[in-house]
Amino acid sequence: MPTNVRRAAVIGGNRIPFARANAAYARASNSDMLTATLDGLVARFGLAGERIGEVVAGAVLKHSRDFNLTREAVLGSRLSPATPAYDVQQACGTGLEAAILVANKIALGQIDSGIAGGVDTASDAPIAVNDDLRRLLVALNGARSLSARLKILGGLRPGQIVPEIPRNAEPRTGLSMGEHAAITAAEWSIGRAEQDELAAASHRNLAAAYDRGFFDDLVTPYLGLTRDANLRPDASADKLAKLRPVFGSGPDATMTAGNSTPLTDGAALVLLGSDEWAAEHRLPVLAHVVDAETAAVDHVHGRDGLLTAPVHAVPRLLERNGLRLQDFDFYEIHEAFASTVLATLKAWEDPAFAKERLGLDAPPGSIDRSRLNVAGSSLAAGHPFAATGGRIVATLAKLLHEKAATGGPARGLISICAAGGQGVVAILEAGR
Amino acid sequence: MAPTTVLVGVPALGPRYAKAAIGAVLPGGRPRTLPDAQLIREDVGIDLGHLAEYARACGLALDGVLPLTYPHVLAFPLQIALMADRSFPLALPGLVHVRNRIVAARAIGPGERLRITVHAADLAAHPRGAQVDLVAHVDAGGERVWSGRSTYLARGAPVPEGRPAASEPEPSAVEGGPPSAVWRVPGDTGRRYARASGDINPIHLHPLTARAFGFPRAIAHGMWTAARAVAALQGRLPATAEFDVAFGKPLLLPSTVELRTRQAGPTDWDLAVASRSGHEHLRASVRAR
Repeated sequence: MPTNVRRAAVIGGNRIPFARANAAYARASNSDMLTATLDGLVARFGLAGERIGEVVAGAVLKHSRDFNLTREAVLGSRLSPATPAYDVQQACGTGLEAAILVANKIALGQIDSGIAGGVDTASDAPIAVNDDLRRLLVALNGARSLSARLKILGGLRPGQIVPEIPRNAEPRTGLSMGEHAAITAAEWSIGRAEQDELAAASHRNLAAAYDRGFFDDLVTPYLGLTRDANLRPDASADKLAKLRPVFGSGPDATMTAGNSTPLTDGAALVLLGSDEWAAEHRLPVLAHVVDAETAAVDHVHGRDGLLTAPVHAVPRLLERNGLRLQDFDFYEIHEAFASTVLATLKAWEDPAFAKERLGLDAPPGSIDRSRLNVAGSSLAAGHPFAATGGRIVATLAKLLHEKAATGGPARGLISICAAGGQGVVAILEAGR
Repeated sequence: MAPTTVLVGVPALGPRYAKAAIGAVLPGGRPRTLPDAQLIREDVGIDLGHLAEYARACGLALDGVLPLTYPHVLAFPLQIALMADRSFPLALPGLVHVRNRIVAARAIGPGERLRITVHAADLAAHPRGAQVDLVAHVDAGGERVWSGRSTYLARGAPVPEGRPAASEPEPSAVEGGPPSAVWRVPGDTGRRYARASGDINPIHLHPLTARAFGFPRAIAHGMWTAARAVAALQGRLPATAEFDVAFGKPLLLPSTVELRTRQAGPTDWDLAVASRSGHEHLRASVRAR
């Protein structure tokens, strides 16, 4: 048994440009995108034929035939087929949780290298047969005689032919994610203008990052796309202000297609390893994984909003690491909706909320907004659910590496909200 | 310099098959030598929808580069345009695809603009008739990126004058041992591949149309079986490869067949597809260049 823990290094990442649903990747499956992304990572870091400690990834919208999605992607890739793999699924937290799992095994010395991330397609989504029809077909399959089969088929009704298409809705509340977010936005009085400004900044920052070549070693072109298809470099708060609200109702409805993430297809992976493994393979260390925390809230019967679990996760993580919210050079807060980011920041600034709900004497406080999502985030890039964690970990690790190269040690915070009332957050550091 | 015809757009195959079928029964002789012609399509882009349909039909991944066998379906309509013409010495109906050799000089991305040229070569005697090669070249940016040589046999055709075909050794057999995969090949495989490849030869489409040509059931396209075998080696193929396939007994649809593979080098493979009763449908080799 290893007795010492070591920090896992983030060595690099690879993703394919994210595409809007039913467009560039309409015909690509989760398996296609994950394998292409894995092969891009293998090519970038010279890992062909290499046995990696493990590959961990997942998809939120997953067909039942893809039960071993990640292992199958490994078998179709240029990695050694002796590389083990497993799938995880934690809604939008999937990619980051996968990275935490791999980082923890590296920290414990159980593995020396690992690849983590995720993939999602809203275009090639699994469509299930109507549940009544499914039961009928299962019974039919088990029937032994022709008369038994005919009897079962006699129960077939036209309405059963209608398939079940996956909906972006919470099973227990029946509300879509956007409707949940609209409730939180109203609760925290998040205005339309500040949401549009955050969305415009996301596009501006992502476009600038592409323009300065930041993504040259993080993104591999795929099926004709070289940049995220959702990116609008000329987006401005003025233009976004013209869009009609799509979530919420009445004069207070503020959430539009412009300040909410669109349905997106894509995949992202990160390469992690011990410092020794990276050195042996002559690979750079961009940053280290310091710590992580996952929180969950009762969005069904409790007082918390569906996407507000990071509000609880971050203070716990800060306390365990003896840090203040202000002790970070970069903040990567996943932009499920602009209003979600703004409500999260507002909750951390609220003394009453801190006292009553977080059990803190003083609120975590405000952050320097110029350090938030400086290379763009999900509003501009898009958000293929399970792929977002891999995108953010690789982006933040590279930002920290750049900062550490010129300005000494650097630290970054990741916060990702997820369906089911969960939130995954983590700290990365470079140069210390 | 061969007379060159530059084609705009993909030649329609249905009318050409029909014309060739009528031509085959009309009186009138055929030339004894190959036409000195070359067909060209310039600036060909990849239709991603078509690529996806081809990949799905063959079990290949959409992994960001063209499958090793995909340029063959881009060149195939030009092959048919040459072979369906009355200037071609062998009648198109009844031609059997017996061998296919591919040289992939590098991976081709789906965004590249391609120049495709096709000509016929090496009309020669075959122990069972006459054979001919249809040679396709794919260039991108002035560079030769892919070549294919499809050998067709005309059973019982008049033996052409001159030397018999130089017999290049076929890929070696892979026999015995457990299969690395069992494929359950559905009855509509021929129709699916026909849609994806444009090869609408009736022997592949339906038992009835196949029976008209003497087959008990529809048979799988040889190049489908070859592409399916390439799919089985996903992630294990060399980036620049020589792929040599010899087709054996027809694969009747539907069927269950077995794939056997033998590794001959880090990315070199020998493979064979055979029925459970031992009829060999295909043997192939992949070699890194």
